[in-house]
Amino acid sequence: MLGLILGLTMIFAGVLPEESSFISQRQAMVKNQIEARGISDRATLQSISSVSRHLFVPGKLLDSAYDDRPLPIGYGQTISQPYIVAYMTEIINPGTDSRVLEIGTGSGYQAAVLAEIVKDVYTIEIISELGNSAAARLKDLGYKNVNVRISDGYYGWEEHSPFDAIIVTAASEYIPPPLIDQLKDGGRMVIPVGSPFMIQTLMLVEKKGDKIKTTSLMPVRFVPFRRSN
Amino acid sequence: MKQNVSAPKRFCFSIGLLSVSIIAFELVLMQILSIVQWYHFAYMVISVALLGFGAAGTFLSVFRKRFLDKAEILIPLLMILCGIAMAAVIRTAQAPYFRFDCYLLFSDASQMWQLVFTYLLFFFPFFLGALAIGLIFLKFVNEIGKLYFANLAGSGAGGVAALGLISFFLPQEIPAIISVVPVVSGIMVLSRKSMGLVFAFVSISLILIIYSIMNPPNLAVSEFKALSRALNLTDAEIDFEKNSPHGLMQIVSSSALRYAPGLSLTYREDLPAVKGVFQNGDWLGPVISWKSGDKAFVMDYTTGALPYAINKRARVLVLNAGTGTDLLQAISQGATSITGVEPNSAVLSLMKNELSHMTDSMFDHPSVSVRNIESRTFLAMDTSTYDLITLPIVGYFGGTSGLYALQEQYLFTRNAFRKMWLRLSEEGVISVTCWMDYPVRKPLRILSTIVEMLEEQGIQNPVDFIGAVRSWGTITFILKKTPLSNTEAELVREFCNRMSFDPAILRGLNQEERAWFNKLEDDNFFTYIDELLSSERKKLYSEYDFNIEPATDNRPYFSQFYKWQSLPNLAKHFGNHAIPFFEMGYLIVVLTFFQILIVAGVLIIVPLFFIGWEGGHILRTVFYFSGIGIGYMFVEIVLIQMFILYFGNPIYAAAAVITSMLVCSGIGSYVSSKIKRLWDYLSIILLSIIVLLFFYAVLLSPMLNKSIAMPLPAKILFAVILIAPVSFLMGIPFPAGISYLAEHSYKQVPWAWGINGCLSVISTAVATIVAVELGFVWVMVFAALAYSLPLMSEIEMRS
Repeated sequence: MLGLILGLTMIFAGVLPEESSFISQRQAMVKNQIEARGISDRATLQSISSVSRHLFVPGKLLDSAYDDRPLPIGYGQTISQPYIVAYMTEIINPGTDSRVLEIGTGSGYQAAVLAEIVKDVYTIEIISELGNSAAARLKDLGYKNVNVRISDGYYGWEEHSPFDAIIVTAASEYIPPPLIDQLKDGGRMVIPVGSPFMIQTLMLVEKKGDKIKTTSLMPVRFVPFRRSN
Repeated sequence: MKQNVSAPKRFCFSIGLLSVSIIAFELVLMQILSIVQWYHFAYMVISVALLGFGAAGTFLSVFRKRFLDKAEILIPLLMILCGIAMAAVIRTAQAPYFRFDCYLLFSDASQMWQLVFTYLLFFFPFFLGALAIGLIFLKFVNEIGKLYFANLAGSGAGGVAALGLISFFLPQEIPAIISVVPVVSGIMVLSRKSMGLVFAFVSISLILIIYSIMNPPNLAVSEFKALSRALNLTDAEIDFEKNSPHGLMQIVSSSALRYAPGLSLTYREDLPAVKGVFQNGDWLGPVISWKSGDKAFVMDYTTGALPYAINKRARVLVLNAGTGTDLLQAISQGATSITGVEPNSAVLSLMKNELSHMTDSMFDHPSVSVRNIESRTFLAMDTSTYDLITLPIVGYFGGTSGLYALQEQYLFTRNAFRKMWLRLSEEGVISVTCWMDYPVRKPLRILSTIVEMLEEQGIQNPVDFIGAVRSWGTITFILKKTPLSNTEAELVREFCNRMSFDPAILRGLNQEERAWFNKLEDDNFFTYIDELLSSERKKLYSEYDFNIEPATDNRPYFSQFYKWQSLPNLAKHFGNHAIPFFEMGYLIVVLTFFQILIVAGVLIIVPLFFIGWEGGHILRTVFYFSGIGIGYMFVEIVLIQMFILYFGNPIYAAAAVITSMLVCSGIGSYVSSKIKRLWDYLSIILLSIIVLLFFYAVLLSPMLNKSIAMPLPAKILFAVILIAPVSFLMGIPFPAGISYLAEHSYKQVPWAWGINGCLSVISTAVATIVAVELGFVWVMVFAALAYSLPLMSEIEMRS
């Protein structure tokens, strides 16, 4: 009876239908787009399930918020495809004590997903309009462990280095030397390579002593491009 | 009923002026849309807009009598309205509510309405201008030869006028300037009766035009273009901008703009900021600050430094030198004789003047000589040998969604590599660097091109002559004139160890070495490389989901990889939404083809409900005017392509071909008006065109190759001699056909003109598709076959 009263109250308040619709879309997204493609890290799945992606997309694209694709957020930037966000989160092995640097805040969605898992997130955005709105959004949503800075991501955030992991969401044609310097020994950096509207190849950079090695990770496994296959 | 009215000379001048403005406006609009969006989008919008000519034919077919009754007032009024539309459409299209972005079309359905609006908007100036031209043709049909001459000659002059305007004004300033011309054309044909009303329109239009000239609209460049991205960087600003026939050149500076493609992870120095040069909003190249005393050069930490790592290079040839990054590297590596070739005179001027202080006057360095010519033309004329020939980097970081799939790239064809090979010294190498793409396409096509060229030279073991080194993002291929020695192979390995790169092709290479520093998720890439180097190459060509066979001069589309039969497979693996972004350029052309096919079909069929379905007569008219429309456009497109290589400059080649063709055709049309019983000779004329076009299909390319080294004046003369006869003849069938209809079926005149207009537009898309799938020779063959349609119709009419 109490549930019914509460439910009716929420319906009259205009909250339940919209929220429940997004919750069910988010659950479907996690199940069909993320788990189905092999993401199994519990912390990542839990985080993606709890962050309201629709609050990070432009109003007119609200209906597409949980679609299996990136969406434009203005200034030629995108909010990544949900699967890419999940994959990047899983691949850096985030721990509860981790300190993570993100280059390219965008809408703030990736930072929010990380903030649900790690101790501290430091995120840098070069486009001030995007950075300011992401900072306000993250603050409104109550993320206290996310630090947003408007600056050139090339230099990283030296005062808070070294980082356990670095996520570069706005990749460029070179990997900035200061970011490699600010990565902990044994740390991991992940960078998406490719047009955001296409399939992106994720690249993992691992630092072990003086050795730096890269590995191309293909998020969507596919058989080689041969028709006979 | 046909009216036997003579056209006063002022109508000929007026139609000529109006044609000047329409073609000039079309070319400027093309540039503006290429700046705010991309070239292929510009092509799509303008193709649809040009259907305004077909629509005008339809309109006049339906409302012929009413329009003829009011022709005196309508002709000047339509011209003036055309001018107003030219002045107003750019500003309207840039308004936030209407602004369209083709990149968003596949993610935001609401963009479809903006696209439809964009089509309609740009359709109007062409439709209004075409209505005026069509009405004059209809009213003075007995003088169609002279009027068509004025139309063609004006169109030819329009191309030259556009080049002139583009050289002196910014793109957004030009439409308002051009819009004065249709108003003047309208004033020229004012009759006393219509003076009052039209004068009011003249006044309004002049106020609007003067306002537009004083306040040109701002061009809102797509947020996804390289220029917009650069301007989003910290303290970014445009330092300099200049328009030229090569495009709008802009220099952007920002403390966050840096350049180091695939930089080695061992590089520990600071990366200095560069200035970025953009052409029509696309990235052209960086200007790297350098002084003669500087020792470290950031490009020495990229895979592109490979040729210098294994030997000294005294004589270096840098093709498509652009902003001079490879020239700087050659200077810093101590090359003593460096030749830079760059077809874009605007870039050269920029580097030699405004930016020379940044590069220590690199272009005036004692060891550097620069040639302003197309690289392929230079290779055809040059006889020197070089220790190193470098090509510009292939592709872009992260890809470009195939927006440049249909850009002709004569520097990356098998024929081009053969020419470069012939210019190598005994120890010389060709070096080409490529971004690793995903799915991998470009590096595989580079390799297939090199291997097939070596095979042509009788070399059976290509792996001895090729080296390739891969970083996390780029791969550099070197092709040596003689086999790489063991010492050189060791130097390649040392270079890789020093830079954390991996050798991908090298004699005596083992599999482990290939991914020591930079692992790929699987080794398919290496399997493909090995297959391309083996006799299994053709099998890979047929089984791979992308076309990776070498580009040739006949099909110079290096960046075109789509295989239509592979689309279901690609959609299965990557999802439907990813498909448009693999190769948007080609997709847009195919999309354009279907759009204009549907609209043109409607425009051709609708008038039949008004002028009647007269069985065989109707079909004959359709075949006759379709054949002329298709044939003429096909010839024009192929000739422009062939003469780009010949003259070494795409802009001037296009201007020369279009102007010579239109003027010669105009003369043909004018002469035809003087010939009595023209119809008796038409079969011979059409047959001559067909024979000449077959002759061109077979012999034009070899003839141009033989004469490419001649001095420029001789080449111009030779080009005119080649172009003039067939163009002269091609100017005759249209007025002859219209004159015939005027005598036998007057009401079909505007309809036939509309068919010609519609098919001309369709043919631009078809010619591109045929060129991509079969090559330019086939486009010329199809042009000849298209002219057999009017021949058959003419024989049928005679019988």
